[in-house]
Amino acid sequence: MATISDISNEFVRNEIEEYIEEPDEREQLIATFAKIRPEMQEIAAALIDGAHHTVDELTHKALETAEALEVMDDGLIAAMRIVGIKFRENFIYVPEVLGCARAMKAGMKHIEPILSASGIEPIGKVVMGTVKGDLHDIGKNLCIMMLQGTGFEVIDLGVDTKPDEFLAAVEENGASLLGMSALLTTTMPNMAVTIETFIDEDLRDDVRIMVGGAPVTQEFADDMGADGYGKDAMECVALAKRLLAEGVEAAG
Amino acid sequence: MRKIDEQEYQKRLEQISDLFSGMIQHADELSTERCPYKNRFDECTAKFGCRNQGKPLSPGGLLVCTGDDKLDYRSAWESV
Repeated sequence: MATISDISNEFVRNEIEEYIEEPDEREQLIATFAKIRPEMQEIAAALIDGAHHTVDELTHKALETAEALEVMDDGLIAAMRIVGIKFRENFIYVPEVLGCARAMKAGMKHIEPILSASGIEPIGKVVMGTVKGDLHDIGKNLCIMMLQGTGFEVIDLGVDTKPDEFLAAVEENGASLLGMSALLTTTMPNMAVTIETFIDEDLRDDVRIMVGGAPVTQEFADDMGADGYGKDAMECVALAKRLLAEGVEAAG
Repeated sequence: MRKIDEQEYQKRLEQISDLFSGMIQHADELSTERCPYKNRFDECTAKFGCRNQGKPLSPGGLLVCTGDDKLDYRSAWESV
């Protein structure tokens, strides 16, 4: 049986010792990490620490010799398991989780060209942003994390996004889906304004539009002419998949 | 460039998706009792103003969250 001292990376060792309290989980993680090569453990350590620049550099370097699946399994996914447990046990919170997800994305960025060369394309392209006048982004960021984790390519426009910025991003990236978020009742109408902009530019039929955010309801989404409403990140992914399938069906 | 087997890649995506689903569920539950913008050091990571924001502990650091999470923290959030 592997022991904690079989893990070469000190940071990973400390993380397991300090934060993984369930004996089964601890044993499983020790067994997993004891088999992982030091280079991959280094990537894992940087990811757990949310150090996206380091994950970026290390993944790029590792892929010169390592297989992409090894990097995914041993560097990225194994680390995310520790992050998940730390979050579940309230050692870290949403901002830290989003930092780790960002680091994971930094690593996945180097795997994308290999996927493309293997004929594996993202399941869809989504432009996401919080509407003009609104600076709340946690919900949107959780949706993005979930969408990327499911295989979507996401173009994140951030917060306070003007209608013409949504329009330009959809056009430039050839995105078939647009997701808008608003958390304030005062900024919610800017979702409708953005949809109007797409209609005015004769681009409404080119993109499926989904909306979400605490004050948004299905009724409001219907009234403004959105194609769908998702109440949380899980529904956002299900909705994106459904709208994508409907779009493919309509085109076919 | 070396290639990836699509089925093997799909298996990894499913693992990531499962991991993230659990995290999203926990984030949802947690948001009823703790502001999601508050980090592990009780600092505010929001890009907007909030009445619960206090002075940073160190110069240039993030603002400290002074909210006690006992009330609905959302009423303290301000628009642009």
